[in-house]
Amino acid sequence: MGAGLSAEEMQKSYLKIFGALMVFTLLTIIAAKFVHFPESWGGLSTTLHVTIGLIIAVAKAWMVVYVFMHIKFDNPYIRVFIYIPLFLFSVLVFALTVLGGPTL
Amino acid sequence: MSSALSLAHEPVTGIRHGKLGMWIFLASEVMFFSGFFTAFIILRNTNLPVFAHGASELNWQLAALNTVNLIVSSLTMAMAILSLEHGNKSRFQLYMGITFLCACGFLVIKYIEYTTKFSHGIYPGTSSFFGLYFTMTGFHAMHVIGGMIPIGWMLAKSFTKRGYSDWERVEILGLYWHFVDLVWIFLFPVLYLIF
Repeated sequence: MGAGLSAEEMQKSYLKIFGALMVFTLLTIIAAKFVHFPESWGGLSTTLHVTIGLIIAVAKAWMVVYVFMHIKFDNPYIRVFIYIPLFLFSVLVFALTVLGGPTL
Repeated sequence: MSSALSLAHEPVTGIRHGKLGMWIFLASEVMFFSGFFTAFIILRNTNLPVFAHGASELNWQLAALNTVNLIVSSLTMAMAILSLEHGNKSRFQLYMGITFLCACGFLVIKYIEYTTKFSHGIYPGTSSFFGLYFTMTGFHAMHVIGGMIPIGWMLAKSFTKRGYSDWERVEILGLYWHFVDLVWIFLFPVLYLIF
């Protein structure tokens, strides 16, 4: 395991990802709860909030998969199993930004 | 490594069967949760006021605490695998124990959230938002419980005389556990934050 990396190097990359996940969690909370766009922006402000939240979530997900789930170090064949569903899911959630349009 | 001759590995790719099976299972889990997310997206985009009102009833501070819980447990799970791989038994027990405790903490917070909702008269049938909220977080909580069983079993076994040394199995369990964290990474902003 670890593609020739020592335990110390592995631990270092785990801690780096852990730190990044914590920072991104804080960022997503700040962006959603403490950043307010002008009232005049209307629906655009919701779309912006959703987009920021989702970009951060997708980034966090790929970090977890790449390092914690060992995709970075493991047999490349495994990538097929996770890259396709995770890519499709990452695209799917952005449907949350599609708001408005004529209502019937 | 002559993986082609080993029955423990898939002959073409050289990946252990257990790991290969777990990845296929996780791919099917992505599809399982995608169904919920699709339902959520379509119903939210067509009933935005209902969903915005529902989300405003949720306690995002508790959910943020649970996010930290799961991130910490993901780190300790990765560290537990690394420790066992290098034969450090006491470190393995420490990290695995923290992982288990974080999972317990997650469930306690979830319990507080649910009972608060019930005491406010909010149930799965209250609105389409709460129907999805209880279904999605409920299935996620079941996944947490499902992960705690093997975590507890491996941890308990490592305290016995024979001990527990199969780090490759812990690695496969780790894949599942990180997936549980992964689902929460999306549930947290989608249910609690983006409105």
